[in-house]
Amino acid sequence: MIAGKDKELKLLDKASTEFAGKQLAPEREANDKYPFGPFFDTVLQKAHELEFFHVMLPEDLGGIGHGMAGLCIVLSNICREDASLGGILFTHTAACELMIAAGGQDRVRTIASESDDIRKFLIACPVFNNPSEIAHLARAELKDGKWVINGSLEYVVLGGLAGHALIPAKTGNNDAAYSWFLIDSAADGVALSEPVMSLGLHACPAVDMTFHDAPAELVGSEGTGESAFFGMAAQMQLPVAAMSLGIMKGSFKEALDYSKGRFQGGRRILDWSEIRMMLADMVVKIKTGDMILSAACRNADENTPGWQANAAAAAVRIQADACDLTTDGIQILGGIGYMKDYGQEKRFRDAKHLQALLGLAPMKKLKLIEDMIR
Amino acid sequence: MISRSEVKHFANQSPRFDDMICSLPAGPKTPGLMVGETRKVMAIARKFNEEVVRPYALELDRTLHENPDFLPWDFVEKANEWGFYTMWIPKIFGGKGYSMPTMCYFVEEIGSACLAMANLIGVHYLGVSTLNATWNMRLISRLCRDIVAGEKNHTPCLVTLAITEPGAGTDVEEIDLVDKGSVTCQAQKVDGGYKINGSKIFISNGHLSTWHMVIAYADLDKPSESTVALAVKTGTPGFSFGRKENKMGQKGCPASELVFKDCFVPDDLVCMDPAQLAKNKRPVREINMQMIDYVVSATRAGVGAFATGAARGAYEAAVKFASETHVAGKLLINYEWAQCMLAEMYKNVALSRLSYVETNYANGIYGFFREIQKKPMYYYYKMMPVKWLEKMVSSMTEKAWATTWFRKTQFDGQTDEEICRTSGWASLCKFAATDYGIKNCHMALELMGQAGLRHDRGTEKILRDAKLLQIYEGTNQLNRLNLFKCLVAPEHPQAVVFEE
Repeated sequence: MIAGKDKELKLLDKASTEFAGKQLAPEREANDKYPFGPFFDTVLQKAHELEFFHVMLPEDLGGIGHGMAGLCIVLSNICREDASLGGILFTHTAACELMIAAGGQDRVRTIASESDDIRKFLIACPVFNNPSEIAHLARAELKDGKWVINGSLEYVVLGGLAGHALIPAKTGNNDAAYSWFLIDSAADGVALSEPVMSLGLHACPAVDMTFHDAPAELVGSEGTGESAFFGMAAQMQLPVAAMSLGIMKGSFKEALDYSKGRFQGGRRILDWSEIRMMLADMVVKIKTGDMILSAACRNADENTPGWQANAAAAAVRIQADACDLTTDGIQILGGIGYMKDYGQEKRFRDAKHLQALLGLAPMKKLKLIEDMIR
Repeated sequence: MISRSEVKHFANQSPRFDDMICSLPAGPKTPGLMVGETRKVMAIARKFNEEVVRPYALELDRTLHENPDFLPWDFVEKANEWGFYTMWIPKIFGGKGYSMPTMCYFVEEIGSACLAMANLIGVHYLGVSTLNATWNMRLISRLCRDIVAGEKNHTPCLVTLAITEPGAGTDVEEIDLVDKGSVTCQAQKVDGGYKINGSKIFISNGHLSTWHMVIAYADLDKPSESTVALAVKTGTPGFSFGRKENKMGQKGCPASELVFKDCFVPDDLVCMDPAQLAKNKRPVREINMQMIDYVVSATRAGVGAFATGAARGAYEAAVKFASETHVAGKLLINYEWAQCMLAEMYKNVALSRLSYVETNYANGIYGFFREIQKKPMYYYYKMMPVKWLEKMVSSMTEKAWATTWFRKTQFDGQTDEEICRTSGWASLCKFAATDYGIKNCHMALELMGQAGLRHDRGTEKILRDAKLLQIYEGTNQLNRLNLFKCLVAPEHPQAVVFEE
């Protein structure tokens, strides 16, 4: 991700790079053991203190207003070392953006300013699902003038960690529309599963949630869930791409370093031209990813007409490239790359995991063309 | 229209008819009984999947996530109980004597449910195949009888191949590279045997196995000419297990480090060394490569079958999900784009399978299985009672001339073209099928979204498991080079391989 000449973005770039190198890289494999190992609370708290969770939020809502470019720079640098923290940062930011898109700015402002405890501050959200694609959403109803939710929801990211959760639920008799509700994760009537064992992002856990008359707070207006989701998703595809790009950079660096020190057939494997070709393919993916993401972020921040299609196309391309690149990232290290002691296998899993963010990958492509021909 | 000599001339033009298609000439020579045998083996695997593999696969994987040091003895004992470790041991050594190509169909089935468990069974035959490829009949008999005894007394007796070293992975599978590489596992000739020093890594099933086919080198400066294959039993003084790797996938199948410190192996456990090959036609260096090719021509087809299983497992998960999941109000399986994706995945499975089937046809007429699959030989071993075989044939395997005769027919009797054809097809199968396997996993996860990421749905495990297939038995990059060496370079004399 290119910070360009913007001094503030350059500082953010430097701070997030240093943080990732010092706080994330040394404990990457240990942190990835969650839920069978401890959770990295200390690192999360430090990221909170450095205000990474406030990067994109406008200043009038309690953020530091670095916009899309700022968030993408931070996420890319963090995911170069460990995408799990990137997943947490993404989920919380996506939840805030959803609330803003739904008309809940005031609530976002309160949450952004109210807690020093990162767990209480975080907002859980089912960011891998497009609620319009799900067959059975939970249902909300008014009881004694207060909203309560019944039903269940799969794979709510940060559900076991965060103080709040932002949940889609249907209301009234209109089965086509849904709304967003904020719930207190510790409230009566909210049941959480154990963390769901998953392919990647082990330290960014998700849970399945069940609701029995769980008290809820409607965010924005009733029935506007879908438009809020697509408003959020249009923007947040770029941070997803930034995370994938960061993973690619980490994978490439590890592969290049390894190829300089590993010998086969009496030569450094870097001197095998097939390995060079694989490394060159990685560089092509990273360089083009950097360029298209930078351009798409600029378009989004400047509200250039058609920026949404640019963002969607950039995300699809970069996510697919990340899956291919991390496959080769393991391959260059051979058996070593397949082992847990190195970051390559984790990057491979994380890249694939990220591709599922914001809904089914093929449906996201179809949405792109639907929006263009509308 | 065309004369016989012209037919020969044009058929031998590149690509040569014999290189292009192996199944057509092999078909009429293949014993008809193999069809029923294959169907039966497939049915056994499906029954085992239903009763043992599917109920346990995710639990085993989860256990290994939690405790990477866990060893799946329970599964190995179950596979032993079902007779899988002797299923492809010849009847003359007390085994069940199923034809080797049927194993590919078997591991495809098991692999479609769990690749780790398929490896816990299939990798045993990598060790057995290496033993067989030395054609040391006395030792083949001895170790196979140990395996059979292990089944009878409920103490599984598995065999590994120990070849990969910390500094040499690709190098040890290619004779043109090994002399330039940095192998360190030495077998030093001493009175009455060899003394081994060094280590081997990533040895599948290491901690679970009784016998290890160790490939070491008498002269570390000239390993290609001093390769020694030794049978080392777990518990031998000087031999110990080192670390057990913590892998991304195939977690149920341990990858072990084997450590040798002045480990003495007596002469009667030396399967093959340069001195034993003095009377063979080819130079020792070439026979060592031929031995490797015999093994990998069979086992890379096996990896292709594992990969077909992975591709199928991913396809089956995707089609099940699409059949029962509504997306945006419509059953996923009824979206045209989803149908095309599923058709693409089905194609990948079918082409992967065809690649291992074709490779095994090559092995059947030009390679490892050509003697045993000749119709008279096949039916003789199939029909004769075990007792008769024991009495008439088994005793002969103890004689020194049996090894000499087998090495004469197998090493000297195989032409260079036949080696290239079998090895080239095996490499094609290995990298094509494993790439298809990964491709299908990616497609399944794309189709399933969040559901595919969950361990409890099983699909993400297939991706983690399948990635290893692109790496072991020679990386896919090495296999591409080997295909070029075997099937392309011979037609282009100016081409040099491994000497860039």
